[in-house]
Amino acid sequence: MVACLLCCVVDNRKVSLPLDLGVCVLGIYSLCATGGRSSMADDKDVLRDVWFGRIPTCFTLNQDEVTEREAEPYYLLLPRVSYLTLVTDKVKKHFLKVMKAEDVEEMWFEYEGTPLKWHYPIGVLFDLHASNTVLPWSITVHFKNFPDRDLLHCPSNSVIEAHFMSSIKEADALKHKSQVVNDMQKKDHKQLWMGLQNDKFDQFWAMNRKLMEYPTEEGGFRYIPFRIYQAMSDRPFIQKLFRPISPEGNAHTLGNLLKEMYPTAIPNDGEPKRYQVVIHGIEPLLETPLQWLSEHLSHPDNFLHICVIPTPTD
Amino acid sequence: MSLCVLEEETFRHCCRLILQQSEQLRDGWSWESVQSVLVASAGADSIQGDIDDEDDDADEGVCTVSEGSSQVLQYEYHILYSCSYSTPVLYFRAFTLGRSLSLQEVWSSVHSNFSFRLQNSPLNTITQQEHPLLGQPFFMLHPCRTEEFMRPVLQVAQDHNRPVNYVLTWLSVVGPMVGLDVPLKYTTSHY
Repeated sequence: MVACLLCCVVDNRKVSLPLDLGVCVLGIYSLCATGGRSSMADDKDVLRDVWFGRIPTCFTLNQDEVTEREAEPYYLLLPRVSYLTLVTDKVKKHFLKVMKAEDVEEMWFEYEGTPLKWHYPIGVLFDLHASNTVLPWSITVHFKNFPDRDLLHCPSNSVIEAHFMSSIKEADALKHKSQVVNDMQKKDHKQLWMGLQNDKFDQFWAMNRKLMEYPTEEGGFRYIPFRIYQAMSDRPFIQKLFRPISPEGNAHTLGNLLKEMYPTAIPNDGEPKRYQVVIHGIEPLLETPLQWLSEHLSHPDNFLHICVIPTPTD
Repeated sequence: MSLCVLEEETFRHCCRLILQQSEQLRDGWSWESVQSVLVASAGADSIQGDIDDEDDDADEGVCTVSEGSSQVLQYEYHILYSCSYSTPVLYFRAFTLGRSLSLQEVWSSVHSNFSFRLQNSPLNTITQQEHPLLGQPFFMLHPCRTEEFMRPVLQVAQDHNRPVNYVLTWLSVVGPMVGLDVPLKYTTSHY
């Protein structure tokens, strides 16, 4: 519990508005862990809290864009589990009001010089690039000089849908050898996508729970779909095969995963902590079972996105 | 089942054989080991040695194809191993006059025989994706149907007790769709 409280404090300092849910997700899980039994109701709350996580954001037009009059900044609560290009129609409309059509090319976003990859979930972008900074998150909007070398084009929502479904399929290939996703019908796939697109928690989870099932005797998925990101790296992420259960039958934890994939992220005894391991804006305990994290803290794309960021020095 | 599963070690072996051939044919394939981020980012005191990654190797080939007489397109192909699907995956990008081709332009350079086949199976289509090692936009052919079309080929090879290079056979199927021809000489030599 003490470790938990520490985490909460860190999170509170970072988030001034009661919008980030780190505190309650962590609180609930620690109850399960210390109580020795997990309650279904509590776990369902975790799914809700993850789904409804929001980041207050201020969009500002890039100074070099040609406008007819000054562009006011635009404020929005961004859903952590969605994608930038899926939830910024209003931002685009807002800035187009002050621009001539011939000055408008494909819209893209940047944070402090880094082009933001729309195909990563919004929460991952925030945790990776803007953790421990002041809110609202300040994003610059561009309509020119699309950085071809860094960003994927996103001409329509169908591109986001294809990307999202391809992630779900890859995750299911890891979890169930693609059996669950292949047994679904086209309308089931559509239900997952529409649930995300329209922010319908119940619609999404009515289908997604099938992707979270596994044979009881196996104790978990075949492999855990995860990606580990770090800010200061040319390599976009680490993704390998990792099982939720050890050959001896013990549950693997977040700590076990990091020890194998990214050992420097775990502090040595007696040394100051150099890295924060962040999922959905919180630092889960390293003792948390990986299977539980995969079922509850995965993004809608069914991957567990883990950010490793330097501990703030101040 | 196991017939169609390509283990990473087999992938490496297949690529080594292709490289040996490529050296003689001088068609430009090379083996690029991408260093793991773990090593690159760690402080000097905590380097754990070279960490061997599931998919840190890529075969790269660059070939130039003339389109008509006016425009020269340069293609860059990468063969990566996907540990999720246990298959090879073809990533590529194309340039002309220093600028990269759009998805639409890539589609228009695909021969109509192939584009019909590709478009009819949405899972097997060309999409723009992030290169998982370079973090840059590439086009790729989705791997989730690879096992399906490889199975009959591997079955026949097994029935006749013939050795088969999975990666080479796979490349000869998917390559031509996106402008990469695999010379017959690759298959006439002995492995």
